[in-house]
Amino acid sequence: MTSERDTILRVRDLSVDIPVPSGTLHAVRNVDLSAIRGRTLAIVGESGCGKTMTALAVMRLLPGRARLRAREIGLEGTDLRSLSDKAFSAIRGNRMAMIFQDPMTSLNPVYPIGDQLEEIHIRHRGSGRREARERAEYLLARVGIVNPGTRLRQFPHQLSGGLRQRIMIAMALMCDPALIVADEPTTALDVTVQAQVLHLLKDLQAEFDMALILITHDLGIVARIADRIAVMYAGRIVETGSSRQIFAAPTHPYTQGLIDCIPYPGKTERRTALGSIPGIVPSLVGDAPGCMFRNRCAMAEERCRDGGNVERSVEDGHSYRCVHPVERLRGTMVPS
Amino acid sequence: MSEASAIASPTVPVLECDRVTRLFRVKRGLFETPVALRAVDDVSFAVHGGEVLAIVGESGCGKTTLARMLLGLLPPSSGSIRFAGRPMEGVGRSEIAARVQPVFQDPYSSLNPRKTLGQIVGLPLAVHRIGTEDERRARIAEIMELVGLPPHLVHAYPNQLSGGQRQRVAIARALAIQPAIVVFDEPTSALDVSVQAQILNLLMELRRTLELTYIFISHDLAVVEHIADRVAVMYLGRLVELGDTGRIFEDPRHPYTETLLRSILTPDPALGLPPGPFDGEFPDPLAPPSGCRFHPRCPKAMEHCGATAPEARTDSSGLVECHLYNGKSHDR
Repeated sequence: MTSERDTILRVRDLSVDIPVPSGTLHAVRNVDLSAIRGRTLAIVGESGCGKTMTALAVMRLLPGRARLRAREIGLEGTDLRSLSDKAFSAIRGNRMAMIFQDPMTSLNPVYPIGDQLEEIHIRHRGSGRREARERAEYLLARVGIVNPGTRLRQFPHQLSGGLRQRIMIAMALMCDPALIVADEPTTALDVTVQAQVLHLLKDLQAEFDMALILITHDLGIVARIADRIAVMYAGRIVETGSSRQIFAAPTHPYTQGLIDCIPYPGKTERRTALGSIPGIVPSLVGDAPGCMFRNRCAMAEERCRDGGNVERSVEDGHSYRCVHPVERLRGTMVPS
Repeated sequence: MSEASAIASPTVPVLECDRVTRLFRVKRGLFETPVALRAVDDVSFAVHGGEVLAIVGESGCGKTTLARMLLGLLPPSSGSIRFAGRPMEGVGRSEIAARVQPVFQDPYSSLNPRKTLGQIVGLPLAVHRIGTEDERRARIAEIMELVGLPPHLVHAYPNQLSGGQRQRVAIARALAIQPAIVVFDEPTSALDVSVQAQILNLLMELRRTLELTYIFISHDLAVVEHIADRVAVMYLGRLVELGDTGRIFEDPRHPYTETLLRSILTPDPALGLPPGPFDGEFPDPLAPPSGCRFHPRCPKAMEHCGATAPEARTDSSGLVECHLYNGKSHDR
């Protein structure tokens, strides 16, 4: 379906360990994923599931103490693992770029935003100030900012949250990257602004033919813009499939629980109890063989203690990690 | 479950806002003369006993300022707020607190990190001098059980708790002195979805068992649709629409309400993104547009919308403030 050339990013067997006083925290375990040109991969999960750590590992932005292991992290055919930090920084911001949740902390408050945009182009492309400014003005206009020339001279605090997030998007696009990783790009925004920013991301993705990895906890956003979905829980991808497969036939008990939790106007009956997942996320410190979801799972049995991490296939392109066969999981859809 | 109409028809509303306005004087620069910001502008509505009234709108629409006035934390610049028919000016600070209690968005900053859960939940009892020490201890245990906190946590500190547990503590604290009304300001938006569902279920159950009245401020319209009986929509300080939840979601009248509803992203992969709501920025609240405040962004704006402000119109479907409904019947 997709040729090698279209696979922009391929990650195989990625793990991130963080030493903590009480042992080793396994933030990410054995994650495989790939990002395809022109497509959107959504990584979904709740706080602490490892979705941001996965992105930071790809971008080589992990906190200093963290240890990364992977069999492959390939971007456009280059194995990123073998690059020196210097060689890596020539790629980050250039061939791949990241958009963070809070634009206020990712923009430098003491420089005009123009300087911050232009610097990227000058550094990676070796362009002159004028060329960089033209590119910045073009992109600001492209992300829907009126009078970009004026905005470029302003400082981050002079702009609204929605504007700042548009500027972050323009910044990520400065060097025409092949891959954009957006971590909760609309979480801090109002719903109406959220819709605008998501539209913008989608349009730009098509126009620049980029691969997009979207990290979010919001299943509504995921359903509306993702092509493929990876559901993470406690550091592992527990289910992966196309957007249609995941929402039409959620298979892992965690995925089913997550979808059941959210109120769905017109579908969930008003003022009735929502589905909920009892308990809390387990500690990620120390070795934990077996399924990490078992202490919250209605279907847990003895063998979940040491099994449950083998990938099983539902159908082409849709797989999950659980000891139970599909029929069993489907037969006991969580009652709502 | 019963619809809003099934709630015992009240004679006197538990809470009433009558033309409530709140101004702030804002300086735009060091040497500029202050400008008046109308954070809440001429808002009137009534809250009936036992209902859940949601207040929705974008940031800067005045919903939090309104909540602070309802809590007695901020006096209105003009207009009046009445509790069970009595004007708030005549009700003492501690009596207001005994009737209306808040639950805030962020359970990380709204709990004192140096106090144990028992102290946090017990503080309102101590302040209002309710019961003996033993009675208070029993009340704390009772209320903790009610909100689903295990009893051994009574000596725990907030930093030992998860986000969901902290929000349960905030709810327990609000309920300790048995208020009639609880004002929630974005109570679940800092929580994970699985925890949000637990908390929403708890809130619905508490309202039933304790016959509470909720004022529920949120920007999450799917959550509002699920738990509210009535919805008030605010835009730039104005109350632009008010009505039963079912009616608002099925047949919104104000174009702003329509826009808000279109931006709800239900988890249906067949739908794709809704058409972009509107371009253009949220207007500067210090220099709000003339006429109808929504007209620069309104897809249905007519010529006179920018010239004259529409009047609020109240009928059996609720309240709407839009020229489309001024002066004519709207049996569409």
